[in-house]
Amino acid sequence: NRMKRARARLKPCALKELEVSVSELGLGYESDEIVLFRYCSGTCETAVRNYDLSLKNMRIKKKIKKEKVRARPCCRPLSYDDDVSFLDTYNRYYTVNELSAKECGCV
Amino acid sequence: LASIFSGMDPATNSKSNHCLDAAKACNLNDNCKRLRSAYISTCSREISATELCNRRKCHKALRQFFDRVPSEYTYRLLFCSCKDQACAERRRQTIVPNCSYEDKEKPNCLDLRNLCRTDHLCRSRLADFHTNCQVSFQSLTSCPEDNYQACLGSYAGMIGFDMTPNYIDASIVSITVSPWCSCRGSGNMEEECERFLRDFTENPCLRNAIQAFGNGTDVNLSPKN
Repeated sequence: NRMKRARARLKPCALKELEVSVSELGLGYESDEIVLFRYCSGTCETAVRNYDLSLKNMRIKKKIKKEKVRARPCCRPLSYDDDVSFLDTYNRYYTVNELSAKECGCV
Repeated sequence: LASIFSGMDPATNSKSNHCLDAAKACNLNDNCKRLRSAYISTCSREISATELCNRRKCHKALRQFFDRVPSEYTYRLLFCSCKDQACAERRRQTIVPNCSYEDKEKPNCLDLRNLCRTDHLCRSRLADFHTNCQVSFQSLTSCPEDNYQACLGSYAGMIGFDMTPNYIDASIVSITVSPWCSCRGSGNMEEECERFLRDFTENPCLRNAIQAFGNGTDVNLSPKN
């Protein structure tokens, strides 16, 4: 089981999806309407650049001390999905943008 | 046959809301979701304190939705069956009526018909509606050739034109649809006006078609095409 979990953590960065109600998004809207929420998930091991290695070494050698730096790529949306509209429980329509990821990448 | 289907109804969850299910189905399909969002955002975008929305753009976005999204999605949203008011209100709200339907004044229906007839598409869609939803006394369903689909299609075909029809309220006991007009001020054309309006408000073919779609009983009656 631990192997399974470990392997799941090593999945490369990719788009995944969930069916969730608008209320569950936690954005303050009350609606039972179900929307497709697409997000980015996975590791970026293979996307490490010389930039990351060098930055890491600069930090080890204390050339960079106080600044907040990130020496490994992140799995993040490269672009976002189209707008999503829904009717809330008070019969008002809302449209939200950049809710879902469209394309993922290690940046 | 209808009794077999209606017998299935109590088994379904009392909390089930077919109009909400229809919205879900649309949201999970990229094309439907995109075009639904397009008309909703256009139709609910306030222009100024005095102008609720851009009606012309709203109508255009609605026409694109009904033209480009398959009817399996659009009809489900438009003709979903309801057991409670929340569901029926959602059904009424489908076309964003405060922008696409309601207006400050209710024009005379014959004046509205004349306006519709100046636009060749509105004119032909209205003619289709009169043909396909015309009450027939020779058929079981009250529809010409028992073809529910043709009637529903011509009803949906008028949405986004000057003759846009909608549910007049969120009633679950009686389904009444109408364009936004009345027969007040018809003068000596009163009778013709009433006859025209009744094609929407008191049309057993249209009502049966909507109800049959909502109950899922239409599949057995409409001819395969």
